[in-house]
Order: sequence, then C-alpha cells, then structure tokens
Amino acid sequence: MSTPVLAQPAPDTPVVARPTVGRRLTSFMPLIALVVLLAALTVVDPGFFTLSSLTAAVRTAAPLVVLAAGATVVVLCGGIDLSIAALCSLATVLFALWLPDLGAVTLAAVVAATALIGLLQGVAHVLLRIPSFIVTLGGMSIYAAIALVVSDAGPIPLSDRDATHWLTLYLAGVLPMAFVVALLVVGVVSLVLGLTPLGSWVRAIGYSESAARLAGSPVDLVKVGAFTLSGACAGLAAVMLVSRNFSGSPTMADNLLLPAVAAIVVGGTAITGGHGSVWRSLAGALVVTLLRVGLPIVGVPSAYEQILYGAIIVAAVALTLDRSKLLVIK
Amino acid sequence: MTTNLQTEPVPPAPAAPPALEVRGLVKHYPGVKALDGVDLVVRQNEVLGLAGENGAGKSTLLKALVGLVRPDAGEIWVRGERVRLRSVVDAANHGIGMVFQEQSLVPNLTAAENIVLGSEGPGVRTGIYRWSTMRRLAQEQLDKIGSHIDPLARTDSLSFADRQMVEIAKVLRIEERTSHPPVIILDEPTSVLESQEIETLFTQVRRLREFASVVFVSHRLDEVLDVCDRVAVLRGGRSVGEVSADAEPADLHRMMIGSTGSDDHYHEGVAVRSDEPRRPRLEVRGLCGPSFRDVDLDVHAGEIVGIVGVHGSGREDLCRALFGAEPTTAGEVVLDGARLDLSGTRAACAAGIGYVPAERKTEGMVGPMSVADNMTLTKQAARCTGPIVRPGKQATLVDTWIERLRIRTPHRGTAIQRLSGGNQQKVVLARWLVAGDVRLLLLDHPTRGLDIGARSEVYRLMRELAATGVATVLLADSLEEAIGMSDRIVVMSDGRATAQIAAPAGAKPTPLDLVKEMV
Repeated sequence: MSTPVLAQPAPDTPVVARPTVGRRLTSFMPLIALVVLLAALTVVDPGFFTLSSLTAAVRTAAPLVVLAAGATVVVLCGGIDLSIAALCSLATVLFALWLPDLGAVTLAAVVAATALIGLLQGVAHVLLRIPSFIVTLGGMSIYAAIALVVSDAGPIPLSDRDATHWLTLYLAGVLPMAFVVALLVVGVVSLVLGLTPLGSWVRAIGYSESAARLAGSPVDLVKVGAFTLSGACAGLAAVMLVSRNFSGSPTMADNLLLPAVAAIVVGGTAITGGHGSVWRSLAGALVVTLLRVGLPIVGVPSAYEQILYGAIIVAAVALTLDRSKLLVIK
Repeated sequence: MTTNLQTEPVPPAPAAPPALEVRGLVKHYPGVKALDGVDLVVRQNEVLGLAGENGAGKSTLLKALVGLVRPDAGEIWVRGERVRLRSVVDAANHGIGMVFQEQSLVPNLTAAENIVLGSEGPGVRTGIYRWSTMRRLAQEQLDKIGSHIDPLARTDSLSFADRQMVEIAKVLRIEERTSHPPVIILDEPTSVLESQEIETLFTQVRRLREFASVVFVSHRLDEVLDVCDRVAVLRGGRSVGEVSADAEPADLHRMMIGSTGSDDHYHEGVAVRSDEPRRPRLEVRGLCGPSFRDVDLDVHAGEIVGIVGVHGSGREDLCRALFGAEPTTAGEVVLDGARLDLSGTRAACAAGIGYVPAERKTEGMVGPMSVADNMTLTKQAARCTGPIVRPGKQATLVDTWIERLRIRTPHRGTAIQRLSGGNQQKVVLARWLVAGDVRLLLLDHPTRGLDIGARSEVYRLMRELAATGVATVLLADSLEEAIGMSDRIVVMSDGRATAQIAAPAGAKPTPLDLVKEMV
C-alpha cells in the first residue's frame, strides 16, 4: 500500500454557516417590537406619544427592569429564579417595618437582606445540587408566607414618606429617578459582565456547565453570585415600589413574576442559558410595560393582562429557543 | 483512490442475493466526512466482522443501517430490494436490528418487559398489559438463544452479560415482522465482558448464524477473526478491503491503519529525551476513588505515560480525579514536590494541570462561544489587566496560538462549533498552553473522532510539549496509539494499576503484549 500516512493535513476547510435572516431578526427582536409597539399605540391614540405619558411609562417600568435585570444573570447561567416577585413583596414589608428604626440605612439593610436570601438560595442550589427551579419555587412560597406573617396580612404604611422621596423625583425634569436607577443597575451589571472574565464564565456555564467546570471556571461561585445579585435586585425593586405606593404590602410585587420572566425571554435571552444579555431584558421590560399600558388604550380590559403575559412568554421562547438541539424537552 | 482493493479471497458469490448490501454510502457532518462511499455486502447466514480505527466511520455506518442516520448519498439493499430506512422501526420491518454498545434496556423494568417493549403485539389487549402473554413471548425469545435468564427478573439485577443476552433476545423480536432471516448487528458487544462471558457470547453468535446474518463490530482484532467468517475494513469513511477469517491480526491491523508502521506517524523524531530527572514530576500514591483503588503512578517531566485498560478499568475516572473533577477517598498526589489539592478543578488548573476531556463537544469546549473565548476560558489572567479583560491583549495572544498550532479558523471570533474536530481539539489544547504554565497534561482520548491528518498534528503537538518538559498522561484511543505515543505504559484492570511496560522508541511492545496484561 503506497498511501502515505503523513499526507498533508486533510483539507478540512471550516464549514461557515451564515446566520439566517430569521436569526438576525430575532437578535433585534426586542428593539423591533419596542418600535412597532410605540408606533401602533401612537396610531391608535395620538395622545400617547407625548413626553408625559412616555415618562409615566418608564416610571412604571423601573421596578420591572430591575427585577428582570437580576434574574437575567441567573437565566444566563442556565438557571431560573422564580422567587424574585415573592422576595420583592417581602422586601416591601421589611422596608416599611424597618424604616422607623433604621431610618436612612433602611434601603441598604433591605437590599442586603434580600441579597443574603438570594445567596442562601444559590448555596442551596449549588451545594445540595437541587435544581434552581425547585429551590426558588420553594423560596417563593416561603417568602410569601413570611411576608404575610410579619405584616399581619395587610399593608403597612410608610412612617416617613421622605425616605423614598428621592426616587419619585425627576432628573432634568423629565427622567424619573427610579428609571435612572434602573438604567444604572443594567449599565453596571452589563459593564461588569462585559469587561471582566465574569461574562465569559456566565456564558460558558449557561451553554455547558460541565465544559466550564472542566475548564476551571469558578462555576459554583458565579452561580451563587448570580442568585445573590438577583436577590439584591428584588430588594431594590421593592424600594421603588414602596416609593410609589407609600406603603409595603405582602402581595405588592406578586404580579411581577410573569412580566419579569416575559421581559427576559422577549428580550431574546435563551431560557436554556448562555445566550442573551441584561440590555436585552431592559428592552424586554419596556416592551412588556408598553403592552400593559397599551391594553386599555386599545380597549382591552386589564383583566386580560395575565393571558397576554402567558401568551408572550410561550411565543417568545418558541421564537428564540433552538429546539432542534434539545434532545429531551423537560 | 484506495477503494479498489476489493480483494476477494473468500467463497464465490452465492446465488441468493445478499442479506444486506450497501453501495457508495456517503454521510457528511460539518467539517467531517464520516462516510465517503462505503460498500459492504452481508451474505445470508454469515458472520461479517467490521473493523476500523475510531473515526473510520463504523458507528455512522451502523446507524445508517438501522435508520438512525440518513445518508447523503448511496443505496442500501435488503435481499435484492432497495430500501430507505427512516427509523429503527423501518429497519426492523426490513429485518435489521442492532444491539447497541451502550445498552438500551430500561433498568427498572423486568427482562420480559424489556424484551417486548415497543413490540408488545398480543402482550397488550385493549390497552391492558397481559402479563402471562408477555411472559410467554419473552420466554420464547429467551428460548431462541437458549438462555436461562428469569424473564421476571428486574433488568438492573442482572449482570452485564445477562443484560446483553436480553438485548439479543429483544432484537430477535424483529423476526416477527419479516418472513426472512434477520440481520443482527452487534456493536462492540465484548468491550465490557469477562473472557468467559465472551466465550458464551461467541457461542451465541455462532448459533445466530444458523438462522440469521450477523454484523460483528469489535476493537479486539483477534476476537473479530475468531468469530467472523470474514472481516470488512473501513478507513477514513471508505471500504478499504476485507480479510478472511484465517488472516493474522497484524494483517488486519495493517489494513485498518493503512500503513506498515514504518512511517513516523507518531513523530518519534520530535521526541527529545533529556536525562532521567531525579524526582518524578507527578507522584500518585495509593489513590482511591469510586472506581479505582490504591493506584500508584509516577510521571516524569517530558515523559508521556499511556494508561491502557478495558472499559471499566477506572482509568477515565483516575484521570478526572487527578484533575479534581472526580472525588477521591484516600491517597495523595504530589506535583513537583507540592501536595495537590484534589477538591476541585480550579485548584488543579492553578497548579498547572491541564485536562482534555474525551467528550470534546459537551465537555471540552463551549460550542457557541468563539475560538478566542474558548482558548482563554481557563487562563483569564492572560487576557486581563487586573480584573479587566483587554480585547487587544486577547486578540494578540489568540492569534499567536492560532498560528503556532496551525488552527484553521476563519477568524478568532468564529464560534468554535463551526470548526472541524481537529481544529476544535487544538483550541482545547491551546487553552492550557496560553499562559505557559502547564506542567502536567491529562489527555483523555485526545484524538477521538479526528481524521488521520488531524490526529498526526495532535501527536506532533504532544511531542513538542513533552520536549519542553510537560509531563503527559495519555488515555489513548487505541492500543496502537498508546504504544506509538507513550514512553511507558501502565495497564489498569478493575481499578488497579496492574502492570507497567516500558515503551521507549525502538523497543515498543506489541498490542498483544498489552492485551495479555489487560485481561
């Protein structure tokens, strides 16, 4: 046999698959949806595209943006945090309860408390190897119950409205301070993920946890960190809600879970992890908020809201998830 | 160009059409030609062996035969009739069935349930399981192969060999679907069997020949020649010829690797042997883990130590344990005089240990991430200033290594999953090299699934690294590879290191020398 074994390396030209048009479109989906929604709402109600109603919209969106931003990092790691809304409700109660004693440091204390709760969830997930879905589902129920117990199942008015007054101000007279804070959160998280190795680690863990671990990535630390951030964001969002309602209530944020998950998936972050960004969730949260404020404009009773969230979550995942690669759908 | 070697030393073509015939089968995967025009004839009532190195296309061919893979081109004929196989059921309807390498039984069902699973027939009446009928059906199947396994035994309570018998009994159910003798494919059936169990299996195979055709795939060449009537050889996705049962394993092997072994395939010329250093770089003492016990192992700087062993020998787990990816229960590991922390992969990375996992696609690389990000995933400091990633620094570093390792990629930003297997593997290897601090490399099947050219490049890289003083532990893809690449070979059996064989250039042991120690 004359075949030389050490022939030239096989001409293995890499196969370059171009992103399809559909793939390109989905990557801009949240922005496109945002623009289309704005246009549609303006057509139906020309009065909508005014400074005051846009300002009101982003003000409403602020807590949702913060909630979704924190949970996005967990989703990017391939997990899910279902406890954010219940934790946020609990935090509103804690804020109202602690304000008389703690005064100026109440905000820091509440955020620290929720961050700690998030950290515990992360540790339970990582050390006890319980799926994040279960840990946070259990957490959701626990925090909701604690909130009811410590609040005596009713709203607690703020003892001092000035404590959260700054969040209701407007920057340069137009930008709600709450939204500025939300933008800051998104910006800081994005910068940290973009500029440090954390971004690579989070994506690697989300795409393939075992590959990330075998590459020596600090998988457990990063995941615990993600849950901690998610918890902290829930606390911050709670303060925003309190500043608007002048009270804390054990169910105040409960209806934000679905919108937050919707914001993440509408933004195009893959629910399976790895692919996505915090910026996308910002756009997603704005889309969700516009839908919410837009429903009454087009004459749909707000009772239909939850149907809408359910539908867009399923639709957005259907559009963004590359199901051909999943062998088993659980 | 090598397909014209169809030397037919065996009987004249029988009058009956072949039980199964494959003509010019082609299957491409991104970057890999798994099948490149395979021809194969399985005659009625014969045992045909199928041999070939890893990556020769055996698995793809078998999958095509049972409808798990759709070929891009080529034809499959069953008893003179062209067929298209779209699923396992389709294949079964044409009388083709396969016993898979990884067993496909449901462990918490009884043997009987497994045997009739998916083809319950009269075992289910009006949607209700009829246990007595099922048991009878299963017993019939077991009787066919003369097995005494209790059909009501839970599958996970059976030994591996018994489970294999259940699989064979199960696959013979396809006889119910066709009036012709079936074709039974056995994929690596002996890889985890003890020698006595292998004998039982062979008796079974010879029995099957009475009423069926058998395709038998095994890495153990002596076995293949022992049980088969003739052996077809695949190499690089093509049929390169066949040998009759009276051939020597060496002849068969030569045909499989396509050389006489005289070429410097393993780049022994690159090896620069320094004087034996005083103290080993890696010292493993009495290491115990879930699947290995009391392992002692020394690896010197610049040395390549191959570990060989059959499936279940524990060598993969040992390798992972050294990297902190598998728990250990006792023993200690010393690297360059310092005791190693085996609690996690991070500690191992920090100590200068690199690991290339066998499952490249799921464990070795993060597919959707870029070549650059994959390459710098571990040694983050190499692309950062303080905690901040410097894209410019990363680009320079990655481009340097792309050039040094001759990685073919359109760009450093290309997703690694778009590269061919060989180039992916080079990126995975580069991950450990970019910081220049690697002291020990653990390579678990580093050439799995690579074509011969890419394999050769990985070998060259290993030699060059060894020449710079890197100690290497190699779990080779084949005995030949272990012999060709290693300076010393450690044999593992049942979780223990049972023998050490020196394998310096020029005085290499033969595969048979190793096999003797392995079983």
